[in-house]
Amino acid sequence: MMLLDLLQLPILAREFDWGTVGEYLFRDSIREGAWRTLQLSVLAQIGGIILGVVTAVPRNLKIPVIGQLFGLYVWFFRGTPLLLQLFIWYFALPLYAPDEIAWLPFYDPDLLRLSSFQAALIGLAVNEGAYMSEIMRAGIESIETGQMDAAKSLGMTRLQAMRHVILPQAARVVVPPTGNEFNAMLKNSSLAYVISYQELLFRSRAIYVNNFKVMELLVVASLWYLFFTTVWSFIQAEIEQSLRPEQERGGVWQRVRRALALPERWTAGGGESR
Amino acid sequence: MNMVRVEDVHKRFAHVEVLKGVSFDVEQGETIVILGPSGSGKSTLLRLIAHLDELDAGRIYVDGQLVGYREVNGRLKALGDREASRARAHVGMVFQRFNLFPHMTALGNVAIAPMKVRGVPKAQALAAATELLKQVGLGEKLHAFPAQLSGGQQQRVAIARALAMQPKVMLFDEATSALDPELVGEVLEVMKALARGGMTMIVVTHEMGFAREAADRVMLMDEGVIVEENKPAEFFDHPRHERTRSFLSKIL
Repeated sequence: MMLLDLLQLPILAREFDWGTVGEYLFRDSIREGAWRTLQLSVLAQIGGIILGVVTAVPRNLKIPVIGQLFGLYVWFFRGTPLLLQLFIWYFALPLYAPDEIAWLPFYDPDLLRLSSFQAALIGLAVNEGAYMSEIMRAGIESIETGQMDAAKSLGMTRLQAMRHVILPQAARVVVPPTGNEFNAMLKNSSLAYVISYQELLFRSRAIYVNNFKVMELLVVASLWYLFFTTVWSFIQAEIEQSLRPEQERGGVWQRVRRALALPERWTAGGGESR
Repeated sequence: MNMVRVEDVHKRFAHVEVLKGVSFDVEQGETIVILGPSGSGKSTLLRLIAHLDELDAGRIYVDGQLVGYREVNGRLKALGDREASRARAHVGMVFQRFNLFPHMTALGNVAIAPMKVRGVPKAQALAAATELLKQVGLGEKLHAFPAQLSGGQQQRVAIARALAMQPKVMLFDEATSALDPELVGEVLEVMKALARGGMTMIVVTHEMGFAREAADRVMLMDEGVIVEENKPAEFFDHPRHERTRSFLSKIL
């Protein structure tokens, strides 16, 4: 009874109507927004992981110039707000698309006029790449130096050693922090709303500015975010379980794949989460 | 014919001079055992021959080729990553802590370098790896992961892995020091068989039995120099130097 009373609290300020929540939860417009949030997050996370690996390896190998350049990249994108970066990609970049040089080969001024989806995806991925780079760097450093020695003594170049020996082992170390990054990504993707990408939060807001059911629509959005993050936390736990040291068999991807071969009831219910 | 030639090699780490001018030759098919107290520079010397570290002065040749460097007007110039890697492939190294790749089976550990470095087709590399693992007595453990193997088995996989690249010389850096006493024998047997088979070997070890039985020559290193070098019988029974005598008295 107490709990129920607490849930009724918003009523004190203004009527809160759970019926409205139910009414909008599965609206096409909301569902589409939720789908976009998921899509944007997954793609940006994948982009971030790729950028992270690509930038971490030269930094670890201390390759001159390139390594330092990537260090600078990490420094900038971890050191400035994501919101500001989205503004740069979407609002500022087109200002630097001079039409005067459109005759240059391969140059198209429209290249820098990003759609809100492109800007959101690039902005989130590039920002995430900087964080993933740090995670990968720590993961690579956690592998004992004897592994690199052994690979080199067999005649592998440093890049071959990275690819075949170090990275597959580092992958296991970076799974938990990467999972946390994706959890954050699911929510940070809502910042794309400020560059008018019509994801979940944008769509919720679009509805409440008309019907004034502000809290109800924010709860609708919250429920979707909670659904995504909850499903993800189950998937993440499953992946981590499959990577525990007593399960020595198979490479990381083999085991992750095995972990994701979830029972029927999961794949059916979490269809949208993949 | 000299398979390995070490010429006046110097190496320092920060303020400590670890090697203070080391020179020796190893004939093809010869087995050299290097003894010495810890910190005498033995491991560093092996790592330089394998070109896992950079040397400060001197020259190391394997089969007539300068290891890891090019000589330009009498000065050493480091090779690029690709060329240096090619040179390293001729030198096999077995480590104290095995350093097997934990994410690969025994077979994978042995086959990976021929496949990725030499471009040997997979089927052929796996067949050769199977053969090598049988040779070191692990025909039953082809698909085992390192974590499922005993220390002695892991070290034998590591030996097979190094042999897979058909090295011109094999370096053993205290290959049995991390093993339980009852597992030392099986690894030494593989090493002895290798020596009998005509492999050129440089072995850093504390196993006096192995030195006596399998070595063509034994050297004592201390404080970054080679103190004494002789045939095993002479070395153990009639050591010439005081430092050799005191080392042997401590260890035997």
